[in-house]
Amino acid sequence: MKMKKFINAPENLTAEVLDGLVAAYPQKVALAEGKIVVRAKPKSEDKVAILTLGGSGHEPALSGFVGEGMLDASVVGDIFAAPNAVALLAGLRRFKRDAGILLVVLNHAGDVMSANMAMKMAQREGIKVKSILVSDDISAGLDSPVADRRGLAGCIPLFKVAGAAAEEGKNLDEVFAVAEKFNAGIATLAVAMTGCTHPQNGQPITELGDDEMEIGMGQHGEGGGGRSAILSADKTAEIMFGNLAKALSLKEGDRIFAVVNGVGATTPMEMSIVFRAVKSLARDRGVEVVGGIVDELLTVQEMAGFQLILCRVDDETKKYLYAKSDTPYWTSLGD
Amino acid sequence: MDLTLQKLKEMFAAAAADVAAQEQYLCRLDAACGDGDHGVAIKGAITAASDAVGGASNLKDAFFEGGMAAMANSNGSTSSIYGTLFMGISDGIDAGAESLGASALAKAFEKGLSSMRDVVKGDVGDKTCFDALIPAVRAMAGRNTVAELLDAAAAAADEGAKSTANLAAKFGRARNLGEKSIGTLDPGAVSNAVIFSAFARAFSQK
Repeated sequence: MKMKKFINAPENLTAEVLDGLVAAYPQKVALAEGKIVVRAKPKSEDKVAILTLGGSGHEPALSGFVGEGMLDASVVGDIFAAPNAVALLAGLRRFKRDAGILLVVLNHAGDVMSANMAMKMAQREGIKVKSILVSDDISAGLDSPVADRRGLAGCIPLFKVAGAAAEEGKNLDEVFAVAEKFNAGIATLAVAMTGCTHPQNGQPITELGDDEMEIGMGQHGEGGGGRSAILSADKTAEIMFGNLAKALSLKEGDRIFAVVNGVGATTPMEMSIVFRAVKSLARDRGVEVVGGIVDELLTVQEMAGFQLILCRVDDETKKYLYAKSDTPYWTSLGD
Repeated sequence: MDLTLQKLKEMFAAAAADVAAQEQYLCRLDAACGDGDHGVAIKGAITAASDAVGGASNLKDAFFEGGMAAMANSNGSTSSIYGTLFMGISDGIDAGAESLGASALAKAFEKGLSSMRDVVKGDVGDKTCFDALIPAVRAMAGRNTVAELLDAAAAAADEGAKSTANLAAKFGRARNLGEKSIGTLDPGAVSNAVIFSAFARAFSQK
């Protein structure tokens, strides 16, 4: 099937996406040399900087969450590909400060390699940096080691919590501790109904039959979990919520923040119906949904499907999730 | 005949040309279990490395600058793998060396492989580029001439790449497919074999 997308020359895709983002939100973000998206108004240097790295093609993630209260910068690679270590090092150098840098790394082979190399080089130069690995995907199995769990859209509420803690003036160890606490309580499962095409080369990525869906699909459409006939919103939510609740050992009295993240072709209508089911499944277990998001945060091109993200919260992390932020795709007025 | 800077430039140019010719094939292999962009990534890395090697003034610098260029001009895993490999090979070459015999070249590749493995996890059997690269570097040991060394490395890399069809992926994006990935070749191993094959051919060409 021929790829149907509004694009220009494939080799310019990433550059054009970033140009568009900063053109639309000039009050919030700016572009620095080397595909680094930074805040239009930099945070003061006495606060911890929050950086991340990742491929493009998942808009609005990751760069759409740069701005007050969330990321200081995102270092962007190419479509679905991590930036190289040289580019990431340039980003770390730019944010070198006594307060330090927290680097949020999604668990994908390329991101982890670039992060390891760049951190090694940065530390040799005296740059103070700590990293935190997001591995929220539970599709490899509940007992699978962290190394086998991919980083999915759970990174975005994590940017919010870490960003708010840094904004408040916490030091690097404190920001790391709250981020790590929140990170340990995030679990994500994805479901897909259709595959998608790689926008640079038009190659199909994972094909699903007309009457098939797959729970456990990854960030780039790479297959993972089980295929089945298409199920209803409630039935799909029940399977996904059940596994996520098990992964987080949710019990009566726990509180969660839930996100239904559309990955491209699934409508807000469907996503809202799923969220309603999540709320009721949680209630059945005595778990309180303190709030959440129904939106496209991290997409996988024109794939139909969504990621369901559950985040365990306490008073502190809930406060940070609702603290003031002003980024292109997550704006909150705060208390 | 030992390896000279001139020969190395010809070897990298041949590798860049061969990888470019296989770009679409490598993308198709990648689409079976990854995101279909390996051909683009490896072409970017090897072309940049070849350009940098072409402008270098000695063997040690050639590998270092080739590694930096490969890293800075590609993205994803490919940038870290070939960047650390070539820079690591440079670390294994004596400063001022004007030519490398078989044992010096084997030692340099050994150093490159170990530097890369400091950053990149994986081993033979994981269905990654290591299935071609590790046997290739092992096959270099104990050879009498550079020609024999490169021929042996190319043959081992080719055999290793073919063996990936029978393996289930354990690393990278493909690992999530597990057993479902059996039957497909690993694109990273195949491109690695293309590079070693080009090196061997270009070295032996008059």
